[in-house]
Amino acid sequence: MDQAHQRAFAVISHVDHGKSTLSDRLLALTGTVSERDMRAQYLDRMDLERERGITIKAAAVRMEYKAADGELYELNLIDTPGHVDFSYEVSRSLAACDGVVLLVDAAQGIQAQTLTNLYLAVDAGLEIVPVLNKIDLPAAQPDAHAHELAGTIGCDEADVFRISAKTGEGVPELLEAIVARVPAPRGDPDAPLRALVFDSFYDAYRGVVASIRVVDGRIEKRAPIAFMATGVEADADEIGVMSPDATPVDVLETGEVGYLIAGIKEVSLAKVGDTVTSRTRPAAEPLHGYREPKPMVFAGIYPIEGDDFPLLRDALEKLKLNDAALVFEPESSGALGFGFRCGFLGLLHMEIVRERLEREFDLALIATAPSVGYDVTLNDSTRRQVRNPTEMPDPASIAEVAEPFMSVMIVTPSEYVGTVMQLCQERRGQLKEMHYLSPERVEIRYHMPLGEIIFDFFDQLKSKTKGYASLDYEPVGLQPSDLVRVDVLLNGQPVDAFSTIVHKEKAYVYGKTMTERLRKLIPRQMFDVPIQAAIGSRVIARETVKAKRKDVLAKCYGGDVTRKRKLLERQKAGKRRMKQIGSVEVPQSAFIEALRVDADGGRP
Amino acid sequence: MTVTARRTEPAAPGRAGGWLEEPGLGVYVHVPFCLHRCRYCDFNTYEGLGGLHAPYADAVVRDIERWPGADGPATSVFFGGGTPTLLEPRLLTRMLGAVRARFGLAPGAEVTVEANPETVDEDAFAALLDAGFNRFSLGVQSLCDHVLAGLGRTHSATRALDALAAARRAGVEDLNADLIYGSPWETGPDWQTTLLGIVDAEPDHVSAYALTVEEGTPLATLVRTGRAAEPDPDVQADRHGVADEVLDAAGLRRYEVSNWSRPGRASRHNCLYWSAGDYVGFGAGAHSHLRGRRWWSVRLPRLYVDAVAQGRTVVAGDERLGADERAGEALVLGLRLRTGVDLGGFVRRFGHGALARREAALADLEARGLVERRGGFVRVAEAATLVADEVARALL
Repeated sequence: MDQAHQRAFAVISHVDHGKSTLSDRLLALTGTVSERDMRAQYLDRMDLERERGITIKAAAVRMEYKAADGELYELNLIDTPGHVDFSYEVSRSLAACDGVVLLVDAAQGIQAQTLTNLYLAVDAGLEIVPVLNKIDLPAAQPDAHAHELAGTIGCDEADVFRISAKTGEGVPELLEAIVARVPAPRGDPDAPLRALVFDSFYDAYRGVVASIRVVDGRIEKRAPIAFMATGVEADADEIGVMSPDATPVDVLETGEVGYLIAGIKEVSLAKVGDTVTSRTRPAAEPLHGYREPKPMVFAGIYPIEGDDFPLLRDALEKLKLNDAALVFEPESSGALGFGFRCGFLGLLHMEIVRERLEREFDLALIATAPSVGYDVTLNDSTRRQVRNPTEMPDPASIAEVAEPFMSVMIVTPSEYVGTVMQLCQERRGQLKEMHYLSPERVEIRYHMPLGEIIFDFFDQLKSKTKGYASLDYEPVGLQPSDLVRVDVLLNGQPVDAFSTIVHKEKAYVYGKTMTERLRKLIPRQMFDVPIQAAIGSRVIARETVKAKRKDVLAKCYGGDVTRKRKLLERQKAGKRRMKQIGSVEVPQSAFIEALRVDADGGRP
Repeated sequence: MTVTARRTEPAAPGRAGGWLEEPGLGVYVHVPFCLHRCRYCDFNTYEGLGGLHAPYADAVVRDIERWPGADGPATSVFFGGGTPTLLEPRLLTRMLGAVRARFGLAPGAEVTVEANPETVDEDAFAALLDAGFNRFSLGVQSLCDHVLAGLGRTHSATRALDALAAARRAGVEDLNADLIYGSPWETGPDWQTTLLGIVDAEPDHVSAYALTVEEGTPLATLVRTGRAAEPDPDVQADRHGVADEVLDAAGLRRYEVSNWSRPGRASRHNCLYWSAGDYVGFGAGAHSHLRGRRWWSVRLPRLYVDAVAQGRTVVAGDERLGADERAGEALVLGLRLRTGVDLGGFVRRFGHGALARREAALADLEARGLVERRGGFVRVAEAATLVADEVARALL
């Protein structure tokens, strides 16, 4: 279709504010999906996403819409990931759009993550169509939130659409507004091909399927192409559009959105943000904004059954096909055996990977406490990256340790400002900015170490604000901090799985929590077992598991022998499965329990 | 407290309380009836089957009579329960008669019957003595009424002491008192009271067991639902220590983890179990062991009675132990005895290989101070008595 009749837009929204319902409604209204085929949340591809109510991978769908002016338009709805871990992917999705629908729950108002994405959209120069959803709910406060929204994006309150994606109220008017207000693409049809990869997923039968938007030029079926960032060369085996199922086409014109299959075997060769060009007439410059996916959070992942190590490796390799951001390398731990140190975009990404490993590959796993990547400068000025606390050099040889800081944005009802600020101070936050969105709601910005955020910060924030505050963050570089490694020793033997890097002032609390927790988890042995937390050779906390005094059956007579022998045999088998730390026998379950981050206070 | 030795006659054969070089043959008869089931009990016993008493005794008699084996004579006989003395003495007499007729009794054979205090008086003891029972084991459990109530016992402390005295008056010369310690209802002073009271009653033998919460018992439910405290193993270890001191001072010397006796008054029958000896059991749910084969009968009294009446087998299950399994089991059992296991005898019964295969484990246990080898015996070190299962697991 000609450029003038194309519209590409995304819906930016907070989790549960109704993006999927609106998408479904648009698909139905434009006749892209018949009512009969409609299933809730059509665009969410994986079970996991459906259960979590979030969208992990971006997708695009083409709709044809006959507008009130009588013209036929091609609407491309580009889905955006819904979580802070995927903010880079969000930015690439937005780069494929010309406008956004800002969808806000009329009962809850705008949330931090939506604000961040809104700012991204504004920075990208996109047209913003503000919409309040769920106006059918009794708790909706459309007037108050329309006022807030208008103030935030600098528009007139009257320009804020009020809809119910659920009932359909206001959605036809919104469709008209999208056609009227989102500009047509402005690419150069005569320039060499430049198509933006804004999503990329792996299909077991077709290989990598890249979602692309043709920014300049056109792409034809079977054309020789190249990915400019990775240098991968291929042929466009198949191009097509999703409407909503894959429909092959012969050509994608300037401004069109579609998919590309080029016999590529893993997504890291066709990464989000890369530019597809033609090999016969290559573009001089790629589209700007490409960035390598950068893992921010690291954790050791180990199979509970040591024999599962090869299965875990295969599973990670399979996930990697579809996840360019996932990195992993083998490591071994005295306590946990053989596993992998994995790098993730963030905590959610980590949880998703772990859950997929357990669910799709049927693996029982144990994960170490997550850590961030540290930049360590030694006394001799050499620098090194530390992604596993056990790699931290001897404190005496360290000149400086820098840790990743995040710019944290929190939107909270104003009554919780004090509570939120206190929490942020406790987490070593530096207040940067505070801004009232309305008299009732405040946007607060902090700079805070990522290492503090990954331990339970979000849960704490939620519980301290009765669930009303929302959070978003993005990296702002490294800052030196007073960090130490705390080791945990059992009977004098350090247990690598429990070593962690914390701020000096929090070392004692970590040591105390961990030693107390372990005292309850480690079964009594034949001798007293000291459990110590130490910084280098300095012990900062200590507990003792007292020697067991009674381990004998009270009675054993003729009628009991078989049963009691079996009991002893079971105990013996259980003993063999225990991990030996020095002379201390520790059941696997103790590691799992000790490493569980629970609600009572963050760190394990 | 003053204790005077009552009897001086020479010990009966095998009554010294230790590893038996020649375990002999034991016969066990199970009586699965009780007036009232105690809260901690997981034995095979049933309330309210009064009508079954006589048919059950008949069935046991017939089951004994049809026993095809050639083993014997019995060096010990044990009537356990349940509450054997819930049956009329004539029924017990008939069953013991059947044992005597079928197996024969070795000279000096020990013939024990268990009794609960509320079921016995002087006449009953006299009748059972006449029938040939020569050792009586009384379920006293505690001499504190609130502890007895907690355990679900239906007798009082006074009733238990009366029963002990009645036994003596009837002429019982071999008297055991069973005790339980470390229950949720018992304090340290309660245990002292019980021990001192028992010592004053001058039994020949005391079995004192740490209360164990067995799955499926009312006690397990009480503990799970927080209505009774879970027994504290440290407290139980302390109480075992107190028992050992008090009983030892009264001339009752510990010869097994939970058993104390006057010299020459150890339980021959139980020492046979701990020496991995052979025994044949009759009655519902009774276990037998002959030369590495073990079997057990149906648990429900009604099914047992019917099976015997119809001439069918009563065997509900069995297992055959491998040679090394037998050896491991013998060590696990024998190391419960204070004497430990005679290594020479062990090798004669189970071969050199059985010992050689455990040499490394034994050396490690020795190095850790858990076992000692001395005078041709291997035993659990005195200080490790209460962690003997650590040793058992290593040697299985």
